[in-house]
Amino acid sequence: MKIKKVIINLIFLIAAFVIQSSIFPLIPVLAASPNLLLILTFSFGFIGGKESGMFYGLVAGLFMDLFYSGPIGFYTLLFIFIGYLNGICTQYYYEEYITLPLVLSVINEIAYGLYVYVFRFLFRGKIHFGYYFMKIMVPEIIFTVVTTLLIYRLILWYSRRLQEMEKRRDTPIV
Amino acid sequence: MKNHMNYSKYILIILSILCVLMIGLTSLNSSFVEPLRSTIGYLLVPLQSGVNAAGSVVYDELMDIAKMRDALAENEKLKAQIDALTEENNRLGQEQYELERLRELYELDQEYMQYHKVAARVIAKDSGNWFQVFRINKGLDDGIQVNMNVLSGAGLVGIVTDVGANYATVRSIIDDASNVSAMSMQSGDNCIVSGDLRLFEDGKLRVNHVLKDDNINAGDRLVTSNISDVFLPGILIGYVTELSIDANNLTKSGYLIPAANFDDLQEVLVITERKEEQMLPAAETQTEAEGENPGEDMQE
Repeated sequence: MKIKKVIINLIFLIAAFVIQSSIFPLIPVLAASPNLLLILTFSFGFIGGKESGMFYGLVAGLFMDLFYSGPIGFYTLLFIFIGYLNGICTQYYYEEYITLPLVLSVINEIAYGLYVYVFRFLFRGKIHFGYYFMKIMVPEIIFTVVTTLLIYRLILWYSRRLQEMEKRRDTPIV
Repeated sequence: MKNHMNYSKYILIILSILCVLMIGLTSLNSSFVEPLRSTIGYLLVPLQSGVNAAGSVVYDELMDIAKMRDALAENEKLKAQIDALTEENNRLGQEQYELERLRELYELDQEYMQYHKVAARVIAKDSGNWFQVFRINKGLDDGIQVNMNVLSGAGLVGIVTDVGANYATVRSIIDDASNVSAMSMQSGDNCIVSGDLRLFEDGKLRVNHVLKDDNINAGDRLVTSNISDVFLPGILIGYVTELSIDANNLTKSGYLIPAANFDDLQEVLVITERKEEQMLPAAETQTEAEGENPGEDMQE
């Protein structure tokens, strides 16, 4: 059963990556696009715990690193930490409680933006943080938070379904 | 439970160290990860091409309906424009004559038209707005190599930075890290055109390193320079808009409007010739020409 869940989650990650890189750029009216991989990584971490967060963070990060040029490990490092740190918050996880995931989503998105800004822009002497923050990070944060509402619910729904199926199979037939 | 917690902490530390090591290693030399990147490419590129094509169809259908409504209103406007354009056409006819004269002058047209090009489709873009990097559906198998120049119909789009069996990654000239050595078509003076994320929204690039005495003015056409290491000479980049003297009173800098349209980039052309190759055969033919004498021809 656990393997089934892992496979479904991995399919989700691949689908998210394909949509993110091939569908969103098609729509020129979008000022920014939600960071689906980030949402999935943090959701898996938050719902499943540190280990699962780290594992899916590793997969998502490797997708980003291997698919785009640049040093390998740049995104992987970030995604592992996001998975792990959100995994710590799993102790506050209640199924119907949506506020905390939304807050986490904002924090993650800020961390992501800062990470990219500091290592890829500040290091090259581009210091106008205010501009990058307002023009790039804020729109992406807004889109990501809105998308989190949908995706987080979707993940909750199917992980509950899987649990139910598991329970049904475990109950001895009388 | 306690052990369990430590155990995941150790994994985190080990993975982090691995990542940092890999960042260091691949920053210096990324050739050893190419097979890995290619494998991922084999898995994902067909998927992305398919999704991209399907998405395009759906999106185009939706757009068609929306466009119909606009088209009617636009029709009226266009009729009025036809008159204006007819007049402009006459004027352009005259300019065409001038253009031909200029082309002859710079002997650029032959070089520019002779480049062998391969058409490719944009299948993926870097997610988020930080980087202006995209991926095309042609790779090593189609003869694409690193440092090949990428054009759209109108002008220079970017350069291939990374290539796999069936894909290539292109960094566009509007990316923040892009620098292109350019020259003015009018005067032949050199300058640098660099992408800037902060100007991207206005559809502009930065022009700098123009010497104060150089004859580059607003409105000039900038093409890729002869002295560039990676860009073939004479490809149109765009038009200079403003130009002002820098604080150091030695150089001028300003903005450039690119000739290529980056908003809706779907098809691009890759020139399958590279500057470095172009330099080599030139040297070879020269030595051949020098060594050319009847005696050797007989032996061959």
